[in-house]
Amino acid sequence: MKSLKNHISLIIPLFAILFAVEFYLIVDRLIASYETKLSNDYSIIVVAQKPLTLEELRVVDPEITALKQIDATLIINRLKQNSLNLDYDELQGLLPSFYRLYLSSFPSTQKLQELKEQLLKVEGISRVETFTKTHQRIYNFLLFIKSISKLFLAIIFVTSAMLVFKQIEVWNLEHQERMYIMALFGAPLWMRNAILVKLSIIDTTISTLLVYGFYSYMVSSGSLMRLLGVEDLTIDQAQIAGDMLWLFGIGLMISMINIIIVASRQYKMATT
Amino acid sequence: MSKNVIVAKDLTLAYKPNVPIIKESSFKIRSGEFVFVTGPSGSGKSTLMKSFYGELRPQSGILQIGGVMMQDIKPSKLAFLRKYLGIIFQDYKLIKDWTVKKNVMLPLLIAGYSKEVCDSQTARLLKHVHLQDKGDYYPLELSGGEQQRVAMARALAHNPVIILADEPTGNLDEYSSRVIWRLLEGANEQLGTTVVVMTHSIPPNLEVPYRHYYIEEGKVYEIA
Repeated sequence: MKSLKNHISLIIPLFAILFAVEFYLIVDRLIASYETKLSNDYSIIVVAQKPLTLEELRVVDPEITALKQIDATLIINRLKQNSLNLDYDELQGLLPSFYRLYLSSFPSTQKLQELKEQLLKVEGISRVETFTKTHQRIYNFLLFIKSISKLFLAIIFVTSAMLVFKQIEVWNLEHQERMYIMALFGAPLWMRNAILVKLSIIDTTISTLLVYGFYSYMVSSGSLMRLLGVEDLTIDQAQIAGDMLWLFGIGLMISMINIIIVASRQYKMATT
Repeated sequence: MSKNVIVAKDLTLAYKPNVPIIKESSFKIRSGEFVFVTGPSGSGKSTLMKSFYGELRPQSGILQIGGVMMQDIKPSKLAFLRKYLGIIFQDYKLIKDWTVKKNVMLPLLIAGYSKEVCDSQTARLLKHVHLQDKGDYYPLELSGGEQQRVAMARALAHNPVIILADEPTGNLDEYSSRVIWRLLEGANEQLGTTVVVMTHSIPPNLEVPYRHYYIEEGKVYEIA
């Protein structure tokens, strides 16, 4: 029972650190995937009095990747549906050219505003329309979650690392007698601390598996996407599995750093 | 002529400054000797032994163990030196959550012997101390006498150059005491191991020649 409590005392802070790291990675990936999605869906409508070419617009902004002319008959057909008494053939001749612009990545509001202003300076462009509001809200929300998770990660990391250190110190005290007896027979520092390393490996493995289990379930059941309001996005399960190697490495590194600190204290005590 | 393995010159040992337990004492112990250090309780026998295995540094004077100066010995060198010592304590100092076998094996594991060597040497030693059937027991499942025999087997496991024993038979029954003394004599006679025993009284019927030091009021005297 005491041993279980000791394990839990290390598993909880390690789990918290790894949980926060994985959450950050997932949000980062969701944002990247959302940006890709938006850059595919996204378009800027440009109204021009003369034909435009992609090259001349790329001079304004190299992020413009495509320029597609909107067929004027589509606009006329829509107007026809409203049954207005107009000469549609004449109207078609008078209509300016409509273009849809595609960008390589999803622009921020500021970037979009700057692009709009630059496009309006291009000769022949009379109007630029952007459709961002609905996307922008979710995008901003994801960016907010990302910055919160960064802060959350930093706080969790510091507090949990301190808890890990305390727990390793507790282990050190518990195993002090054994370490002392081993030292009497000339065991080197690494051998005396081998038990701490062993316990750390076990607890890091358990923490990593718990984090994997949690995120694996949350992603496969779609709960995480629902929670973040991005149900149309998906996360590759294989990526989460791949992350676990990194998480195990991070967890082990934190434990090892703490063991080295505890061991160096033992060494310092032995030399004074 | 055999060389000195323990040399003390004007050795002073203390836990607190200006409160010496051992005062400016000089003595030499040669390789292969069997030496008793006696004295009343609190005379400083255990303190002297601690200085031999490096747990207590001399306050002044010189102490050399196996040619190593103990005043300013570094932990890595101390660890190296201890591999050549076999230490027996009155309170056994066995690792409670290790089996008897693993306890006996400890010096061999530290010395880096293979599993086969560790297993065969441990089995041989447990037979020597008449505990061959108790290898898988834990120390607290054994009597005091049996625990001390395990400690004895552990001290002999790696064929140490010096055996240091602090009251090895202090609380033991007659049978266990006899086994311990026979093993200490055997190590000294057959392997040439230097044996230093801190004790209240020298056992009768000892078959090996020995030297005797006595501690009185912090001074170490040799008794002819």
